[in-house]
Amino acid sequence: MAAFRNADASGRTSGLLLRCVLYCLMALGLIITDKRYDHLGEMRRFLSVVAYPVQVAVASPFQGWDWFRESVSTRENLQADKEKLEAALRIANFKLQRYEALEAESQRLRGLRSNTAAVAAHFLIGDIMHLDLDAFRERVLVDKGARDGVFVGQAVLDSGGVFGQVARVEQLTSEVILISDPTHEIPVQVNRNGLRTIAVGTGDTHLLKLPYLSTSADVVAGDLLVTSGLGGGFPAGYPVGTVSAVKRDPAQSLADVDVRPAAALDRTREVMFVWLDGEPGDTVPVVAAAAPASTAATANHTPAASHPQAASHAQPAPPTPPAQHAKPQHQGSPP
Amino acid sequence: MMRDDPVRRLPMALSSLVALSLAVLPLPTAIDAFRPDFLVLVVFYWSIESPRAGGLALAFFAGLALDVIRGVVLGQHALALTLMAAWATHLRLRLRVFSLVSQSLTIFAFLTGYQFILFWVDGATGNPVTAFSRWLAPVIGALLWPLLTGLLSRLHDR
Repeated sequence: MAAFRNADASGRTSGLLLRCVLYCLMALGLIITDKRYDHLGEMRRFLSVVAYPVQVAVASPFQGWDWFRESVSTRENLQADKEKLEAALRIANFKLQRYEALEAESQRLRGLRSNTAAVAAHFLIGDIMHLDLDAFRERVLVDKGARDGVFVGQAVLDSGGVFGQVARVEQLTSEVILISDPTHEIPVQVNRNGLRTIAVGTGDTHLLKLPYLSTSADVVAGDLLVTSGLGGGFPAGYPVGTVSAVKRDPAQSLADVDVRPAAALDRTREVMFVWLDGEPGDTVPVVAAAAPASTAATANHTPAASHPQAASHAQPAPPTPPAQHAKPQHQGSPP
Repeated sequence: MMRDDPVRRLPMALSSLVALSLAVLPLPTAIDAFRPDFLVLVVFYWSIESPRAGGLALAFFAGLALDVIRGVVLGQHALALTLMAAWATHLRLRLRVFSLVSQSLTIFAFLTGYQFILFWVDGATGNPVTAFSRWLAPVIGALLWPLLTGLLSRLHDR
């Protein structure tokens, strides 16, 4: 530091050291306040509104190009797209025919075990903004924020499967951390046999790892992994990825399992924010207070349980009334 | 290139804004890791050219902008950028008479120091990024320095 004092050869930057120390103390103060006390939400929100024009300015040429390409596509292209989509819709409808019956059945069975798993109740579509936030962290910026009721920790899906979760919410935008981020872990289940474990991101958008499985665990290449719903953050039963390789080294106690994510993490342009059954805060109490609530639950399900055949064919109304569709609109980000 | 001009605010603000946009411009994943820290280079340039026109204040607020845009802990880039800009300001009289090669080498040292402070704060706040490729940015940045000084000094003289 003594070197700085000799610096004033010209006498012009006298006070350089002083100003440097001042700014550094301010920066350190910010780091500590932000990290330890989390008091800077308002300030960050304000600054992000200031930064928003830059983000929009950078992203808009790409969005403009997308729009241009869409608007000049030919009639034949649109026709082909339409046919493709219709075919996809037909297949989806085929699969959906049994869905309501199966869901009712599964709800009933879970009700018997007084275990209420979180079910996705409400979706909101968001567009990914064309921005690179950080080369070493797998994050994207989406154009929905606190104004739309998005909250921190919210599950985000795309059409293929689980995409990530909300890491930070601003007024107009939110930052989504991908399941492939090296700091992200998601509770999963092997669809074939119900084996539960945790999938960890690697920093590579095409690869997740299952680091906590023993070499004797029953998992083979091709297994589908779905969310287990444990932990409450993600709705249960959505595809996370497929096991692409299992390496078992007899010298190690843990297997080396590679997973290919189901969501198109590096290509998708639209994502869905998911609100679970009920508010984020009260999914936990429902599970915790299962015993007192079980009377209500069984009362709901006894008629159905006594006539399982009739119920599964009668396409019963979803046990969760449409009231919840209105609910998420009132959710702000948690304090 | 030898002046200590007090009022050069407009080109300064403009170049910083452009550099900030370049910092978030989407690139293919393959070359994303090679993206130099444009804004940092611009801040270094102005710290050396006209420290009186903003210097450390520019460094601090540019760092803050990077923090907000990258969504990392507030103050991280601000701290790193302020420290390194102060160092650059301190050495500016010598740097101006250096050849371009020695300038680039010095800038490489600054960029590495900058990256190291980021690395340290990353680790201290609990989300370390240990990817080796983060140390590539200083190399690319130093290689880009002669081009950038040529470009910015043109803007400067106008």
